[in-house]
Amino acid sequence: MFKEMKKVFFIIIILVMTILFILSVDIEYGNPKNLDVANYYIDQGLHDTGAINLVASIYLGYRAYDTLMETIVLFVAVAGVIFCLRGKR
Amino acid sequence: MRSSKIIKTIAQKLFPFIVLFGFYLISHGHLSPGGGFQGGVVLGTAIILLALSHSIEQTEKKFKSRWLNMLEKLGILTLIFLGFLGIFLGYSFLGNFLPLGKPGQIASGGLMLPFNIAIGIKVAAGISAIFYALIKYRGEI
Amino acid sequence: MNPVNISLLVCMIGLYGVMSKNNLIKKIMGLTIMNGSIVLFFISIGYRKGGLAPILEKGTTGGIPTIIVVDPLPQALMLTAIVIGISVTALALALIVKIYSKYKTLDIQQLSKER
Repeated sequence: MFKEMKKVFFIIIILVMTILFILSVDIEYGNPKNLDVANYYIDQGLHDTGAINLVASIYLGYRAYDTLMETIVLFVAVAGVIFCLRGKR
Repeated sequence: MRSSKIIKTIAQKLFPFIVLFGFYLISHGHLSPGGGFQGGVVLGTAIILLALSHSIEQTEKKFKSRWLNMLEKLGILTLIFLGFLGIFLGYSFLGNFLPLGKPGQIASGGLMLPFNIAIGIKVAAGISAIFYALIKYRGEI
Repeated sequence: MNPVNISLLVCMIGLYGVMSKNNLIKKIMGLTIMNGSIVLFFISIGYRKGGLAPILEKGTTGGIPTIIVVDPLPQALMLTAIVIGISVTALALALIVKIYSKYKTLDIQQLSKER
């Protein structure tokens, strides 16, 4: 039963992939439509935070909360690995 | 497995340059591409290079595993403490209370340099702690 | 042949690796490849024609920059996505080490018959 299910899944996936591939060949690449948020970050980034690197001014200045939560996710992962491979007490 | 003398010597000679490059990436995080996460991974890679070329017992004598665990917890506690310091001085949580300074120098950007240093220390200790835990496992259930 | 096509191709390669390989470690490698393809897709969306990297020059004193600069917002979001990807991979590899030490095999067909 497992082998037939795999064959059906393969055919469906290849069909969906060719449809998406054909639909995405001729999109306008390099001209985004609306740049309001990006223009605000580019114009006001140096004045609000004082850093030349605009990417650093986003993830350490305007959105520092997300960076703090991501650090906590990394800490939980390290704690999980050390707990899993502890060995005999 | 035995380790050869060529790899041991080259790894010992390359170690200070990798640590210097890691500190450069952390401290110039707001002036050029880089930052806390990238510099922390480079610092962790330096310790992993030493642990792979020499045996794990020799590396653990110099970089003890209890020190690495404590450094990781200290890094994240510093981050939360800097956030609460913003509340005590009247701004919002994780707000900027240091002076901004001239753009283009290292001492600019307010609270960005202490953030980068805390994140860099935490990521370096975390990657090394994961590697130690995976190598020292001896098959107990 | 734009980067949207290429990211779709890489995602399909990763999906094939997850679905049809029998070893557990190869499945985890497929997940990592799919993670990389999504990062490529998001970063390639914010491209402007003739734009440079979003780092201003050393002597600017504020105001609107005079060069054309690509969109810096998706790059800041993908930093978080990469870190979360490696933490999921680390936990999955630790669990694989425990599975091998108990059952002595990593083949998923034999593991599903174990019960």
